[in-house]
Amino acid sequence: MVLDRKIAFVDLGEGSIRIEPFPVELRQQYIGGRGMNMFLLSKYYTPSLDPFSPQNPLIFGAGLLTGTLGFGSRVSVASKSPESGHLGDANMGGEFGAELVKAGFSHLVITGRSPRPAYLLIRNGEIEIRSGRALRGLDTVETQQKIRSLLRDDRLQTACIGPAGENSVRYAAIRSGLKNAAARTGMGAVMGSKNLKAIAVRGTRDIRISDPGRYLNYYRRQLKKLMQTNWVQALGKQGTPLLFGAANAVGFLSVRNNQFTSVGQRGYQLEAEALEPFSKGMVACHACPAHCRHRYVIDAGPYKGTRGEGPEYASIGSLGTKLGNLDLANIISAVERCNRYGLDTISTGSYIAWAMELYQRGILDRAKTGIPLEWGNGQSILKILDMIAHRKGFGDILAEGSFARDMLGDSCGDYLLEIKGLPIEMTDERLPKSFALGLATSTRGACHMRSRPSMDALGLPQALLKKIYGGPVSNRMASYNGKGRMVWWHELLHAVTDALGVCRFLTAFSSPHALQYRQFARLIKLTTGLEISSAQLRTIAERIYTLERMMLVADGISRKDDTLPKRYFEEPIPEGPAQGSVIEMSDFDRMLDEYYRLHGWDREGIPTRRTLNRLGIAT
Amino acid sequence: MRIRVNRNTCTGCHLCELVCSLFHLGAINIEKSAIRIHKDDLNTSMNTPRVCRQCKEMKCLAGEDAVDKSEKKQFVWENARAERCPFDGLTVFGQDAYHCDLCSGHPQCVRVCTCEAIRVKK
Repeated sequence: MVLDRKIAFVDLGEGSIRIEPFPVELRQQYIGGRGMNMFLLSKYYTPSLDPFSPQNPLIFGAGLLTGTLGFGSRVSVASKSPESGHLGDANMGGEFGAELVKAGFSHLVITGRSPRPAYLLIRNGEIEIRSGRALRGLDTVETQQKIRSLLRDDRLQTACIGPAGENSVRYAAIRSGLKNAAARTGMGAVMGSKNLKAIAVRGTRDIRISDPGRYLNYYRRQLKKLMQTNWVQALGKQGTPLLFGAANAVGFLSVRNNQFTSVGQRGYQLEAEALEPFSKGMVACHACPAHCRHRYVIDAGPYKGTRGEGPEYASIGSLGTKLGNLDLANIISAVERCNRYGLDTISTGSYIAWAMELYQRGILDRAKTGIPLEWGNGQSILKILDMIAHRKGFGDILAEGSFARDMLGDSCGDYLLEIKGLPIEMTDERLPKSFALGLATSTRGACHMRSRPSMDALGLPQALLKKIYGGPVSNRMASYNGKGRMVWWHELLHAVTDALGVCRFLTAFSSPHALQYRQFARLIKLTTGLEISSAQLRTIAERIYTLERMMLVADGISRKDDTLPKRYFEEPIPEGPAQGSVIEMSDFDRMLDEYYRLHGWDREGIPTRRTLNRLGIAT
Repeated sequence: MRIRVNRNTCTGCHLCELVCSLFHLGAINIEKSAIRIHKDDLNTSMNTPRVCRQCKEMKCLAGEDAVDKSEKKQFVWENARAERCPFDGLTVFGQDAYHCDLCSGHPQCVRVCTCEAIRVKK
């Protein structure tokens, strides 16, 4: 049964493994996935906990519906982040989460530091700590291939780190397959600090379903409805690159470290259609009907022979326009290099963009960087990736992420656009106000996936928005009205989505007709037999989000930190379709007030005693 | 009636395997599905579904005494029959082989294949 899945506590220092049941009361409070990760992390999290210390736990959590027909099969990874110094949380699709639950495990809590390179091997209820000596220095694909070959099993699924994680690059990712990455907030660096190169899993156990007949019927009905949405149909043909055109046309793209927000007509070079010549078909994550990633091959030119899956819009933006780079083949090659090294494409691109702006302004020069960091210099971009992953030359400084400020001097910090230690991503949020607020309030630092109410871009009828969000919300992206409510609503829905292991793209993230609380409650009931109502799911979402907030509050984070880079408030967008857009401080404050009120937090953004009591997380 | 697969459009999502095992056994286990996707997931990303071709001349039964009709339509077979299949069309897990029984004329895998890589050929 789904509810029989276990939690394993692995201490790599002592070499001990303890396997415990997942109490059903905790399922009812946190569901699984990210929700349970946060409950577990909160038991270790203190302001003084060093992310690179053996005491910092690295937690893997499969969603409650992962491994079933549950619309995606995702796994979340949590820890204290070495990139931000605060809450770390990342999420990954592919096969790894499903394999973990087939092996009988829901969550892994890994502490300690192995005295020698190690990897974990998990097979049907058994966990072994094995020598990882043969895996040292291998990239993330080679690592997975090597483990399969050592164990002679080509169905093993592995989550691993590459050279970036081994070298403690603060924004190193954990990777699985050719493309899947639990990339944000440096979870790969934590894994590296534990001397843990990989976790290989093979599971062949039955996943028993509480009510198979009704479950299959219900699933098929929801599947049919979902596949009829314009969003999922487009996603299945073009993947996330379809979003590039919209961002460029409306003017919410990061160009040259957010000095500009559109590349105008030149954007055609990076639009979804430009990818088609490389695409050989689409690939899906486990149990996902949408199949939103390309499998691609570059057949000619300087990057001939490059193959892989993707690339995503976020990576195209981060290693493309953000760096003034419009050479799609070069971008694909850079994304693939990041994947192989185990680098987060988003953060990596953002820190390079920071360095390029410093170079543009003469604050950095070639004597310091060793290579020319001009905008759009594709060869330098590829070179700096090597330098970062291996911590060579200037790459050693950039590998520190926002901590590099201390080495580069005070004046450099102004050009690093970051929130709570995580850099701004592939977009610019001065025009879409809900997107801006969502970045400012995200519990893992600047992150579009925490809330991003993509429905704000659809211009839906006001009445429909009111029905969805339970209060008045403007249908204009540039309006501040009701956007606090919109962000609050999506933060909660996405928290439950991550606890279930469902993919955001199949939920009301982007389409009002996609999955929401009601469908989640029904799927939970038919899959597990657990009765959790829509209203209870909303409360669980609040519990997860407010618990995350409490860890940040312990770090001293409050309203003063729920803000945006200076550029967003002080520099109106200079040209292009969003010309003149800027964030007005008073309007931003108004959104924040509404947002705090809905969460039950005080005016400083601190959860009230009453809220904590209501959610049962008062200490 | 038989099921045709197209490796060029298969996305490797496993939905066919998930519903096959669920429909027949009441539990999800892709190891126990009559249709099985072979993945080249660390190289070309090609996904190749394999399933019984419903051959008229059933080489999988060669050498056995007369096998009655109902046995031919069973979902769970012994794995010796899989070894005789020249197309590697049966899934083997443990001592059992899983054989496509066409779900009594309404193949479940086809109904959930959103990339149309699995079709019915009458």
